[in-house]
Amino acid sequence: MSFFKKYRDKQDGTIRFYDIKSSWIKFISILIFLACIIMVVIAIFPALWVFLASFKDIQEFRRTPTLFPNKYNFNVFLKTWNELHFLKYYLNSFIAVAGSTICAIFFNGLLAYGLAILKPKGYKIVTGLVMWSLLIPATTSMVSLFVNITRVGLDGTFLPLWLAAGANAFYVLLFKQFFEQLPKELIEASELDGCSNFKIFYKIVFPLSVPIVMVVAIFAACAAWSDFLLPYLVLSNTDKVTVMVRLFQFRTSNTNDVDVLRAIVFSIIPPIILFTIFQKQITQSVVSAGIKG
Amino acid sequence: MREKKSSSILHSISAWLIMLPGLILFAFFVWEPLLESIRLSLYTAKGIHLMDFVGLKNYIAVLQHPDFLPAIRNTFLYTFWSLIIGFLIPIIMATFITETVHMKSFFRVGVYFPNIMPGLATVMMWGYLFRPGKTGVFNILLSALGIQPFDWLASPAWTIPLIVLTMTWKSAGSTALIYMAGMGSINPELYEAATIDGATPWKRFLHISLPSIFGLGKTLLILQIISVFQILYEPLVMTNGGPNNASISVMQLVFRYAFEDYNYPMAASLSVIISIILVLLTAVYFKATKGKKPEYSTN
Amino acid sequence: MKKFLSVVLCFAMILSLTIGCTTQKNAGTGSSAEPQSGTGDKKVTVKLGIWPEDTLADDIKMHEGFVTELKTTHPNVEIVPSYYKYATDTFVSLAASNKLPTVFETWYTEPQKLIEGGFVADITDVLKEKHWPDQMNDSIKKLLSKDGRIYGIPRDGYALGLMLNVNMFKAAGLVDDKGYPIYPKTWDELAVTAQKIKQKTGEAGFCLLGKDNAAGWHFSNIAWDFGATLTKENNGKFTANINTPEAIAAMQYVKDLKWKYDCLTADPTKEDWASGFVNLGTGAAAMYIGANDAVNQPTQVNKLPTKDLALVPIPAGPKGQYSLSGGTPYMFAKNATKEEISAALDYIEIMGKSPMTSTNALKGMYADARSRVSKGVPVLPVFPAWTDPTFLEANAKITKENSNIDMKLYQDYFDAVKKPGNLHFEEVGSAQDLYSELTKVIQAVVTDKNTDIPKMMAAANTNYQKILDEKVNK
Repeated sequence: MSFFKKYRDKQDGTIRFYDIKSSWIKFISILIFLACIIMVVIAIFPALWVFLASFKDIQEFRRTPTLFPNKYNFNVFLKTWNELHFLKYYLNSFIAVAGSTICAIFFNGLLAYGLAILKPKGYKIVTGLVMWSLLIPATTSMVSLFVNITRVGLDGTFLPLWLAAGANAFYVLLFKQFFEQLPKELIEASELDGCSNFKIFYKIVFPLSVPIVMVVAIFAACAAWSDFLLPYLVLSNTDKVTVMVRLFQFRTSNTNDVDVLRAIVFSIIPPIILFTIFQKQITQSVVSAGIKG
Repeated sequence: MREKKSSSILHSISAWLIMLPGLILFAFFVWEPLLESIRLSLYTAKGIHLMDFVGLKNYIAVLQHPDFLPAIRNTFLYTFWSLIIGFLIPIIMATFITETVHMKSFFRVGVYFPNIMPGLATVMMWGYLFRPGKTGVFNILLSALGIQPFDWLASPAWTIPLIVLTMTWKSAGSTALIYMAGMGSINPELYEAATIDGATPWKRFLHISLPSIFGLGKTLLILQIISVFQILYEPLVMTNGGPNNASISVMQLVFRYAFEDYNYPMAASLSVIISIILVLLTAVYFKATKGKKPEYSTN
Repeated sequence: MKKFLSVVLCFAMILSLTIGCTTQKNAGTGSSAEPQSGTGDKKVTVKLGIWPEDTLADDIKMHEGFVTELKTTHPNVEIVPSYYKYATDTFVSLAASNKLPTVFETWYTEPQKLIEGGFVADITDVLKEKHWPDQMNDSIKKLLSKDGRIYGIPRDGYALGLMLNVNMFKAAGLVDDKGYPIYPKTWDELAVTAQKIKQKTGEAGFCLLGKDNAAGWHFSNIAWDFGATLTKENNGKFTANINTPEAIAAMQYVKDLKWKYDCLTADPTKEDWASGFVNLGTGAAAMYIGANDAVNQPTQVNKLPTKDLALVPIPAGPKGQYSLSGGTPYMFAKNATKEEISAALDYIEIMGKSPMTSTNALKGMYADARSRVSKGVPVLPVFPAWTDPTFLEANAKITKENSNIDMKLYQDYFDAVKKPGNLHFEEVGSAQDLYSELTKVIQAVVTDKNTDIPKMMAAANTNYQKILDEKVNK
């Protein structure tokens, strides 16, 4: 049977290529394969359903017990897109994402460079402070943070969102771990050449760090796209509302269900595109970020 | 010698200068708000303006509030269910995908898919999926099997497990990938040696595969507990804490105090209590991972 | 070097702390400073939070007309449209950063909280100059005042009634020979009627709220009809009074709606104020408790034709019939100057929402009525938030001229609320906390057939008393 042929090359896992001779193991393998298909169906079905249900109108959605819509008309999406001004939210979200990603790389990268390579006297205290800030949930001090932001007059602008991405302990940690593995000789050599600390960063360290920069960029972009509590507090009632803020506002608004469903569809399209392009890097980076624990 | 010393001071100063922007941001966005929270929790306030120092009065008010006990109880229930559901499912998923050879990368990408959906969109989506009545998606599926519609989130006993299930749906894929990497790095010779000793595949799984991800599991478990402890949006959006406080979480209480009642001191007090609990949990984590630095997986 | 580090860190922290402290002080003194008055042609900027949302092109046009009108008498006033939808989670941020619009609309539940927090301006003096306070409905004035000072004016008053989806009554055969719905006069009748509708149409007969505090809010009205008073006041001390036979009977009634009559929507714990109107508007529920100021919800928002909406009196209970009433207030930013507030009030006059009956005010009322007609929102008589007879008369005339409804579908409601003693203001004490406790009991009784109501109500009573003692009985 050709299904089992491929098992001869199986390199990992408990079931080895030589086990496959047993018909019991064959049976188990088929079951496992089916289970995997079911897993993927479960993973994808809800999003698919949201997309399908978005074609319904409010009467149909509320009253007819069917999975699939009566008719497929893409104009309903266009209508919701225009009525709710989603183009504006998209643009705002892109601005927020771009700024946050840049800040996340730049500020956290520099801080990690100091902690991992330069190690000036007293750096251990900072390392400790940064580590401990991983533990305190951001939401607990949201109120005070927000008060601070209004006091310095940054509310109603993207600036606090961008800069907040520049103070992320998790990214500092990722950078730090990567920098610590860089070959010390290169850095020492350039130090002897009289390069300044900053020059070493952008001439030597940064070019060597493209993989980790990619990882942080992807994480930061996804996080910035999905973030809504701080943006909600900072940007509500301005013309800078982002997609997620708009979504959160549905909680207290009178928009009807199908428009909300379509808005959910709009909100997941950009991440899906990003994921399709970078799926390999993303799945890789999860592993590399997670496994070190 | 003197030259070396002055250059090392210069080196230090420039190093601190390089770190300064990051430090200022950390001070502004993380550390100062935290100190401010602690301060706020000891005062009364009019809006956000501090009024009088009242010591621990806000803490007492928080502890005596009728919603506090249900919230704490639920938060531990969330944690409990996430141990049952959220911890085991990724391990099972990782095992299954490791043990197939067909469409492996498709499975890997497929199960990771929910992870890329924005959290808020996920929560809202599941709210719709769990709609009760005959037009709810799951009830449509049930009725296709000839089963009566179910109340889902409206039945108090099911609310928390179902919310944990949706959280697991979102995060299991990424956790499974980490376990898969752990399983993939096991030396094949171990299995071969065990086979020669007559171990069945099941025995090999129990004695080689599982133990090899034990350490990983321990870490991920504690990280999971810490993150579930902060659950907020799932109950906030899906059930608003109901029915009858069956799903309210402590973070949701913070949200209520701050953003619905404008009672910032009480919000701050509860925040501080939560932070203390988290620090304690982390101490456990340090102990379990033998003094390693804390590390967060992405979700 | 360690020293250097700690200096840097301390510096950063102290810096942010002091920034906080100094600006806080500034805000404090700034707000208490009396704005100077007298200079007539000084430029005055008014930020209008009551400007329509950018999706409502027609309304914006109407307001642009109002602005032109205002400019003719107030050339020094500049109007800045800044649409603001009140939401609890963003309000404080705006207030704290002095970014609130000069005038904004809030909810009936909020005034006391906003006054207490020091977020809104005292407008007593400006109002007195215009002689408006005497014309304000006394109970509404009480709602918007603290210690004799007034902090807001009512946009309009409201009283809860029962909204009907007439189509569904037709479908269930519950109409008289002229096609008017035969609606329930008592809560018992409501249960039976709702049950009939559910059996005939398969859709809910009644939409009961159970998701958030609005559930307790609606319930308090039911409870009054059963003879309950949920909070007692004695010399400024409040006592929770939830655990009474009357309130328990009302809760038992709610439980029966779910388990005995089974006439509700699938999951009442998912229903909130807005989703109730969705159900009513889309024909997923035939009856819903709603007020006269929310008739745009089923119609304009959820596309129910005006002819299919009826508003009838709240059913009576064994101990009477009350209609919970209140007002949607306009309130003013704390940092607004006297001139700004005055200009904002003049704008409100032009909108026809003041007690004035000047030509401009009448024009405004007329324009408002026309815009309702074009949006498919029922044009209803106003609720007497202002008591001036000339005003009421003028308003009644304009309403009649622009009528787009069959008054028969509304008349009983307006007759009922005019009966003395029918209007009932919301519970005293800490109403939102009362609602929160009641909502929990409602959630329990509609999700668990075996709920022990007296036990739950006793617990709610204890909880509410605790909060009262903590918050208001000091």
